[in-house]
Amino acid sequence: MTAADPCSHCEEMMQPFMDRVLTDVERAEAETHLDECAYCRKRYRFEEHLRVFVRHAVQAEPMPIELKTKLQELRTPLQ
Amino acid sequence: MSETTREPDARRLATEARDRVRFEEDALALSDQVYRVARHLVGSREEAEDLMQETYARAFRSWRSFQPGTNLRAWLLRILTNLNIDRGRRQQRTPDQQPLEESDYFLYNRLEAAADGGTSDEQRVVERLSQNDVVAALSEVPHDFRDVVVLVDIGDFTYADAAQILDIPIGTVMSRLHRGRRILKQAMAETAVGGEE
Repeated sequence: MTAADPCSHCEEMMQPFMDRVLTDVERAEAETHLDECAYCRKRYRFEEHLRVFVRHAVQAEPMPIELKTKLQELRTPLQ
Repeated sequence: MSETTREPDARRLATEARDRVRFEEDALALSDQVYRVARHLVGSREEAEDLMQETYARAFRSWRSFQPGTNLRAWLLRILTNLNIDRGRRQQRTPDQQPLEESDYFLYNRLEAAADGGTSDEQRVVERLSQNDVVAALSEVPHDFRDVVVLVDIGDFTYADAAQILDIPIGTVMSRLHRGRRILKQAMAETAVGGEE
């Protein structure tokens, strides 16, 4: 087995790993590799950080207050 | 008309009015969360605002078709994505061809290479991207992929919810999500270190 194989397999596992959809066996396999491989470990850590960063960056823009008012006005008037 | 038929009728109307008020309040309480998703499903703030108003108008009209106890935020987003598709808003923005995305380690590798063996703190490099850069990178992701990324990664929907909202199979949600994230990382890499290839 070449050194590149487990790493590219680990790369394939990264998204399902973080989405927590791997089977227990697959997860254990990935964790074993991550314990041994600094190359992949750094990239996994980076990905985790990146997801949080993207989410925060994208969610920062709040809903305009005027829109909130307009949505309120769409409500059915009380009889 | 006798009292006996009028009274249950009045009670029914009162119950319905109460249910409707509660529905409208619940829907409005979710509007911030719905907006955050809507904002990134379309190209501009103006489009997002129009779409939100159309969605809430439709939701308030057809509130009876919402099944209490099910996911109201998903229900609202299903209306919103359908309206978005009906309007053909998405058509003019995205070309037919799908970009070839790089691998999952791509962004990290690019940032590392750009640091040129020096003291690279890749996380810091990414944080140098502004909010606008990330928003712009996200808007470069073709809509089929972006819809899924936005629903799952920003809207926090499960794969199953996203599948229901978009009316596509779960397997399609997963493959679009994985590809969409790669395309997003590629767009971010171009913003962070330039697309000098």
